[in-house]
Amino acid sequence: MRRTLWAAALLGPPLAVSLVLFVGPLVYLFHVSLHEASQSELYGPGPTLANYAAILADPFYLTIIKRTLGTAAWILGLALLVGYPVAYFVALLPPRRRALVTLALLFPLMVSNVVRAYGWVAILGRRGVINTSLRDLGVIDAPLDLLFNQEAVVVGLLTILLPYMVISIANTLAALDRRYEEAAQALGAGPLRTFLHVTLPLSTPGVASGLLLVFLLTLSAYVTITLLGGPRSKLLVSLIFDSVVSFQWPLAAALAFTLLAIALALTGLILLVLRPQRVQGRG
Amino acid sequence: MSADAPDVRLEKARKTFGAVVAVDDIDLAIGRGTIFSLLGPSGCGKTTTLRLIAGFEQPTSGEVFIRGRRVTDVPPYKRDFSMVFQSYALFPHLSVADNVAFGLRMRRVGRADRAAAVKEALALVKLDGFADRFPRQLSGGQQQRVALARAIVVKPAVLLLDEPLGALDKMLREEMQVELRELQQRLGITAVFVTHDQEEALTLSDRVAVMRDGVIEQEGAPRAIYEKPLTEFVAGFLGASNFFDGRIAARDGAAAVVETKGGAVRVAHAAGAVGDQVRLAVRPERVRLLRPGSEGIVAQVRDIVYRGSVTHYYLDGAGGAILAYSQNASPGASAWAVGDAVACAWDAESGVVVTPDRRP
Amino acid sequence: MRWGAWIRGLATALAFAVILCPILVVVLAAFSPTDYFVFPPPSLSLRWFAEFFRLDNMRNAFLLSLELALSSACIAATLGTFAALHLARRKGWVAAVLQALFLAPLVFPTIILGLALLLLYKSVGMPPLPGLILAHCVVGMPYCFRTVLGSVQSLDPALEEAGQSLGAGPLRTLFLVTLPLVWPGVLSGWLFAFIVSFGELNTALFLTGPGVTTLPIEIFSYLQFQGSQLVIAAASTLQIALIILMVAGIERVVGLGRIIRSR
Repeated sequence: MRRTLWAAALLGPPLAVSLVLFVGPLVYLFHVSLHEASQSELYGPGPTLANYAAILADPFYLTIIKRTLGTAAWILGLALLVGYPVAYFVALLPPRRRALVTLALLFPLMVSNVVRAYGWVAILGRRGVINTSLRDLGVIDAPLDLLFNQEAVVVGLLTILLPYMVISIANTLAALDRRYEEAAQALGAGPLRTFLHVTLPLSTPGVASGLLLVFLLTLSAYVTITLLGGPRSKLLVSLIFDSVVSFQWPLAAALAFTLLAIALALTGLILLVLRPQRVQGRG
Repeated sequence: MSADAPDVRLEKARKTFGAVVAVDDIDLAIGRGTIFSLLGPSGCGKTTTLRLIAGFEQPTSGEVFIRGRRVTDVPPYKRDFSMVFQSYALFPHLSVADNVAFGLRMRRVGRADRAAAVKEALALVKLDGFADRFPRQLSGGQQQRVALARAIVVKPAVLLLDEPLGALDKMLREEMQVELRELQQRLGITAVFVTHDQEEALTLSDRVAVMRDGVIEQEGAPRAIYEKPLTEFVAGFLGASNFFDGRIAARDGAAAVVETKGGAVRVAHAAGAVGDQVRLAVRPERVRLLRPGSEGIVAQVRDIVYRGSVTHYYLDGAGGAILAYSQNASPGASAWAVGDAVACAWDAESGVVVTPDRRP
Repeated sequence: MRWGAWIRGLATALAFAVILCPILVVVLAAFSPTDYFVFPPPSLSLRWFAEFFRLDNMRNAFLLSLELALSSACIAATLGTFAALHLARRKGWVAAVLQALFLAPLVFPTIILGLALLLLYKSVGMPPLPGLILAHCVVGMPYCFRTVLGSVQSLDPALEEAGQSLGAGPLRTLFLVTLPLVWPGVLSGWLFAFIVSFGELNTALFLTGPGVTTLPIEIFSYLQFQGSQLVIAAASTLQIALIILMVAGIERVVGLGRIIRSR
């Protein structure tokens, strides 16, 4: 009796917060997304799938969704391409130095994204470091438009999220038993084939979690996308914010769940392709 | 190259890690088709020696040869060996069949040949029907067999085994020792085996090298090592030994009489002149307990421990404690009781003069 | 594979350059004496920091962010610790579901959470500041839950049993045995909740209102509507300075390794 009371006292408050402030609002948001818009209230009559139908039928939204996926694909691909060798480098460091390098990767993650995006504005902007330097060197007369395009968004988000990818993969690689690589060498595999057949497959849990983190954070990075992409490089998350600003609550809710559906679908795809669970558990 | 040229040879191989000398100018020659054990306490350099043969470590100085070919600078994947790891190191993302096939793939063996070889290897280790399982679905003993199959399927010049039975429980370990031995004989593979378990080394090997502090203290056939230890360390590390300090009192050819604190004993082989100090090692099972009389070293029974097939007698002698094992060949109570005065005697062949330990 | 080592070294240098450069540029810009950032700056000045504290909305946003981070981190650490203590030794599907639930906000797109909370708050008439505190509490709780869970699970269960066998009830065992051993985990969880709240954008984007604005949102709207003025660089630098101060402080208490592991 006292034990149950004790358990309930511990679990109760955090569970209540989770249910009332996390699960509840999401259910409510979904409820709102199934209703028509209203001028005076948060939402009008329902239930209806009209909001979702409108999103899927509108070429504008589809273009934005495609652009969102395209941008994410670029960011994920580059993050993996750059992040994997970096993670390998970090994983091979002796423990003490690895801790310091990990801290150096962790520190930028603690700095607010708006600050880091502003850093790119200060570098790429019309009065930014690159333009003023090039002008002072006499290379250009008029400032280059480096900001407010998809490339700026990709570069900005890539650099902001890269530490997640590196840390995820480095943790897996550092925890990997070196005996696996030695076993491969003992069986005649050279460095390249050891990497392709043993190290790479065994690091898929880190790769998968890195990809997932970067992808999910890309999807909701409204501030970075707005500051670096400007009005012409909007992504799905920008549309959610736009419809909030214009008080179209049910549409905003439906867009939010469209975003969530994309997030879930891609999460499933990444897990299905990489199958990280197959290397877990002791060999 | 003659047929009985050694498959593995180390020449003055030395490996240091910083200030620590792990392997200290070792010379080693391992003949074709033998099981060779590197035996010693942890930190004696046996694993480093194995890793020098594999190429996972580069010798600081000295040379490594496999089948007469100098491989000192050759990376592991270009050396003709395979290895069973202590933790097995089975690839968790590959099935049993793919694990076994790995080495064949690396050697670019065709798909059909590969499948046939894998099937044969799995049959050899009695794991037919486990091909599609994954390592985590197997018991420790089964994983061990897969590791073995993976290592032998590539038909290496040398099979290296790093404490391969260490993770198994006692029963399974003894069973695997027999199987391993059978398999090795059938395939005629040269095997180098690292272990800290002296019983395992004696059971399994054709030759044993006892290592300590990076050097080989003694190398030889199991019987020779056990019965004729050269040093106090070897006598103490392989099984139990009683040690007696004494002085050579008389000589008769190779034989001698050694005067110890508890009495004089005859020794079949002893170097040195009359008057030299020597240390004798005597196995407990060689010690016979007699009624006190003319022969042997006098002692008193302190404790008697019945162990089923044998009885252990703990005795207090003039020169220190003495241990004697007595086979329980017939039913009935012990012939001795605690407190009895006895005389300890043994054949002249059973007392071996050993080099005293360097350590205090 | 010589070139393999080259690729790794090169990629690492490149990665650190692009990760750290924007932050360095911001800090450098904050000390500019000029109206606009010139690279390299002709000299250093504190002019923009003075300007930052002169601007009411900037100063207020900074103080509000501090208040918000402190209060939400404390609540999050308490709740996260509760949840972790409850779940640390439990197995089975209920425990698995609860654990997933408590960790979910970590990977859940926070922009959706922000919108959902906005709608909820609108329908129940929640005032902005408590609303923000609760939102950041939801966002920060998983960090505390995870660090404390790790700490408790690495604890030998026999220690708690020993406490109970010596006559301490669950509450006294908690205070006399468990908490003294896991408090570094609680503290690093609190640190992460604080840091996350202090830089959080996605829920704050929806939940801030006139007069109740956090520093990151103030920086964002300044950038959007007033252009790239250097007072923003000063604000950003203060943000970074506070984080360094916090991490250094906690590092003195619990050690570097624990902060890194508890990410």
